[in-house]
Amino acid sequence: MTNTERGRVLLLQVVSVLALLAIWEAAARAGWVDALFVPAPSAVVGAFGRVGPSALAGLADTLAKTAVAYVLSVVLGVSLGVAVGSVRVLREVLSPFVVAVYGMPKILVLPWIVLILGFGTAPAIVYGTIHGVFPILVLVMGGVRDVDRTLVTVARAFGASSWQLYWKVLLPAIVPTVLAGMRLGIVFCLLGVLIVEMFAGVRGMGFVMGSLANGFQAPELFAATALVSASSIAIVLALDSLNNRLSRWR
Amino acid sequence: MRVALIRAAILVALVLAWELLARAANPLLYVPPSVVLPALGRLLALDAYPELPQSLLLTLREIVIAYALAIAAGLGCGFVLGLNRLVGRAYGPILAALYAVPAVVWYPSLMLFFGLDAASKIAFGFLLGFFPITLAVLAGVRQVNPQMIVVARAFGARPAVVFAKVMVPAMLFTLVGGLRTGLALSVIGVIVGEILGAKGGMGALINHAYGLFRTADYVALVLVTLALVVASDVVASLVERRAQRWLE
Repeated sequence: MTNTERGRVLLLQVVSVLALLAIWEAAARAGWVDALFVPAPSAVVGAFGRVGPSALAGLADTLAKTAVAYVLSVVLGVSLGVAVGSVRVLREVLSPFVVAVYGMPKILVLPWIVLILGFGTAPAIVYGTIHGVFPILVLVMGGVRDVDRTLVTVARAFGASSWQLYWKVLLPAIVPTVLAGMRLGIVFCLLGVLIVEMFAGVRGMGFVMGSLANGFQAPELFAATALVSASSIAIVLALDSLNNRLSRWR
Repeated sequence: MRVALIRAAILVALVLAWELLARAANPLLYVPPSVVLPALGRLLALDAYPELPQSLLLTLREIVIAYALAIAAGLGCGFVLGLNRLVGRAYGPILAALYAVPAVVWYPSLMLFFGLDAASKIAFGFLLGFFPITLAVLAGVRQVNPQMIVVARAFGARPAVVFAKVMVPAMLFTLVGGLRTGLALSVIGVIVGEILGAKGGMGALINHAYGLFRTADYVALVLVTLALVVASDVVASLVERRAQRWLE
């Protein structure tokens, strides 16, 4: 992209966001949309102050649960993915099961999880982990399967033990896949935790947003939504830049 | 053959283990298969929930509308962004950033705006299906070899012809993949919406059974809903195979 084009792109982005906000504000003030449901941007900005403390506490709670679920998903997803992916019998027998469960709408088992684990932190972590582990597992299984066979054969020919084969050949080869899985997994974990909080939460951002919607507090709800979206985008961008730095290092 | 046998054995072992463990622990909570089957029978005989057909139809209708809207908007946005370099460069990253947000954060606002009826489920199913379709069109447009377009133009093809005869066939593979993902996500969106709060549809029935601790009915309802999900995926895979055959 040339410099002038980059400037025009940036200009277009800024102008269209500002135009959208201006039209939205005008529509809300002129009463074209019901301010009860679609509050003006200025009202949303004002709501940040009111909803701030409870929303930030909720966000911290949600992110803490997401972090636990994420660590569990990555550890389980990578270890199971390597185990199932590298043993041919396991892979052939189990992959249809994994793919089937991956494609299933997990929301259907949520009532059951809540029934067994109750309300609160545990179901959120379990459900977030279920959400996060499958995309990672599927990616890592595929990554292990697609590792260059000649690498393995050569290592074997030079007398590498199984242990060395895993640590020196397989794991380094699947690092990009693992990183891709980690990037995908975080959004899924956050999604799962938020869904549980909306469905049966007593704390956390999903619960805060659900109560704001039920209370018809639209400006506060929009502010809370913006807060979660912004933090989610920030997390993904941070993972992306980490990813870039690691790949440059490789 | 041997693999298929092992798979069948694993399935049988899982069902048996479920039966034994559930009986030993708490049959009400863990619902052994021997309790699920009669419940499923009662459900399908319209004994447990006489409103099952209407609920199934409502959910199906929500899915169809949401998916149709997602296709229309996804193809429209995708082609506008993909064919126009400046617009694509400007809005593509914004779209990608929004895709990195877990979609369920929009659901409370949609529920507030569209109410508890079908409209909020349709809107959520639409939103989930829209992104993969748009992104698939964007990726597909990028795959088209520009030289083919130049050649087609040089031979005097009009833009509409270039579009239909050169671009669409060249990107069909990616496009159909995106449409299939979009369908799966629209289905999930509608079901998630219904379970998070609805007056009708399968989600409302599931919530009703769960709320009253009718666990056997709950599992039976989940199985019926899963059948709907699997059926939609089978239809999508048939369409996908058809498109691939057409390409060859």
